[in-house]
Amino acid sequence: MTLYFLKDIRQSYAGRTVLDIAELALDAGNIYTLTGPNGAGKTTLLNILSFLSPPSAGQMTFNGIPVKFNAASLQQFRKSVVLVDQHPILFSTTVFKNIEFGLKIRKISRKKRNRIIQSSLSMVGMKAFINADARYLSGGETKRIAIARALACAPNVLIMDEPTANLDIENQLNIESIIREIHRQHNVTIIFCTHNIAQGARLASQHIHLFAGRVTDTEHENIFKGEITALNGRQYFRIDEKVLIPVPATDKRETKISIHPGAIKIVDRRGDEPVPPSLRGKVMGLSVEKDWIRAMVDVGVLISLIMETNEYDSRNLRINDLVDIEIHPDGITFF
Amino acid sequence: MNFFGDSLMSAFGLMLSLDKELIEIVRVSLNVSLASTIIAGVAGIPAGFVISTGDFPLKRGVITLLNTLLALPTVVIGLLVYAMISRNGIFGVYDLLYTQKAIIIGQIILVMPIVTTFTISAISRIDARYRKTAMTLGASPFQAALVILKEARFGITAAVVAAFGRVISEIGICMMLGGNISGYTRTMTTAMALQYDKGEFVLAIALGIILLAISLVVNISLTYFQGKATG
Repeated sequence: MTLYFLKDIRQSYAGRTVLDIAELALDAGNIYTLTGPNGAGKTTLLNILSFLSPPSAGQMTFNGIPVKFNAASLQQFRKSVVLVDQHPILFSTTVFKNIEFGLKIRKISRKKRNRIIQSSLSMVGMKAFINADARYLSGGETKRIAIARALACAPNVLIMDEPTANLDIENQLNIESIIREIHRQHNVTIIFCTHNIAQGARLASQHIHLFAGRVTDTEHENIFKGEITALNGRQYFRIDEKVLIPVPATDKRETKISIHPGAIKIVDRRGDEPVPPSLRGKVMGLSVEKDWIRAMVDVGVLISLIMETNEYDSRNLRINDLVDIEIHPDGITFF
Repeated sequence: MNFFGDSLMSAFGLMLSLDKELIEIVRVSLNVSLASTIIAGVAGIPAGFVISTGDFPLKRGVITLLNTLLALPTVVIGLLVYAMISRNGIFGVYDLLYTQKAIIIGQIILVMPIVTTFTISAISRIDARYRKTAMTLGASPFQAALVILKEARFGITAAVVAAFGRVISEIGICMMLGGNISGYTRTMTTAMALQYDKGEFVLAIALGIILLAISLVVNISLTYFQGKATG
C-alpha cells in the first residue's frame, strides 16, 4: 500500500532550489534508506516527509489523504510520523519525562504511560536509565533514548537522519539491531538516511538516492570535487591535490565527477609502483550486498567498488591488502 | 560607639520590636514592587518570546529600541507618567496621581524592557532543535513554545529577579508618582530619603538593611532553584 506519494515537490531557499522531486512513492511497512552526498537534499526531504516543513511547491498524499500544508493539518499528520534527528537533543530533565512528553501530548493515561515508557526503554536496552538525568548521557545513549522517545509515540513511520553518525562501531551495531527489531516487532515503516552504503544495504529493502536535490538511480556514487589537469598527454581529475584519477577527455576545469562502483575493477599488480591508468590503494572494508561484494579501497580518497562473489573468491581479498584498481571511462560522469 | 554603629544597633532594635511604621513601609514597598514585577513578567515574557522566535519586519529595530529603553532614567518615566495622569493629562480623569497604582504603572514601564530583553536573550540561546523535537513528537506550536520557555527558565527567572531588584530599589518613580504619603505610598527608598533629609539615620539604616535582606532572600531562592533544576 502506498504510504507517501509525492508529486512535483520542490523546496527552495532564497531562490535556490535544494529539492526537486518529480514523483516519489513510498510503500508502508518497508525500510527505506536515503543516500546521497552532502547537500543533496536528504535532510530537506526528511523534514518534508516528517511534516515539519512544508515544501515551496508540489502535492503530497499520506495514506491516500492529500496533505494540506497548513499548521493544523501538519500537526495532525505529525502524530503518525516521528523524526529522530542526526544529533538528537533531549529535554533538560529525566529520561522518563523525555519519553513521557509525546505520550502526554497524546493524552495517554498515567498507568499506560508508565508501561509504554518501560517497554520503549527495554526495546533500546536502556531500562536502567529510566530516572537518569538526560543531560549527562553519552552520544550513543542519547540516540537510543531519542529512538525510545520516538517509538513510545507508536508512529506509523519512523524517520531517522543518519542514526549512526558520529558513533563508535559498537554503538552503530546497537542502533542497527534496534532498527531491525523495531521493524520486526512493530512493522513500522522506517526511512533513514546514511552515508554508509553498506549499512543501507544491510538494513533496507528499498534504496532512494538523491543527487543535487533530485531522485536519481544509484549509479551516482563515489562523488568527488576537484579539477581537470593534463599530465603526460593524458587527462586526470585531481582531488585534494594528491589523488589523480584518469578521466576521458573533457573541456571542463573545476568540476564534480561520480564513478559507478561497477566500473571499477581490481587488476593484477604489475610491479612496485602502479602503472597508469591504475591506482594503488589499501582495502579498508568489505561487505556483502545482495548479489555482489562491496569493497572500500583507500587510494588517497575512499573509493567504493562492487564485484561479483566469484571474483572476490578468486582474488581471496582481505582487509589491508594492497590492490591496483582501474576505472572504466564509461563509468565516469561529469557534473 | 561610633555614629554608624549606634545607628545599626538602633535599627536592629527597631526591626526586632516590629515597629508599625517600619512594617507599613515594607508592606507598601513589597506590594508595589511585586505587582509591577508580576505584570511586567506576564506581559514581557511572552513579548520576549514572540520577538525572539518571530520573523517580522523591523525586528532588529524593536530589539534596538528595547535595549535603548534599558537606559531610561526613572525621572523621565516619572515626568511622562505624571504628564499623563495629572489632572490635566489624558488619564487625569482616573485620579491616579499619588496612588500605589501610579507607582506600579511607572515601574512597569521601567522594567518591561528589562524582562523583555533578558527573555529575548535567554530564548535566543536555546537550541532550535528543542522546538523541532517537540513538534515532531506531536506538540502544537503553543506546547512547543512552553518547551522552549522551560529550557530557558534560568535566564527568564534571572530576568524577573533583575526586574524585582530594579523596582524595589528605585526612588524616582515612587517619589514623583507616589508622593511619599505616609502609610499609603511611602516605600523603603522614599522613606530612607526622607529620614536622610531629616537627619534621622536609624530608620533609614533599618530600611536599608531590610532592602538588602529582601534582595538576599530573592537571590538565595534563585540559586536554590537553579541548583535543584540543574540537579
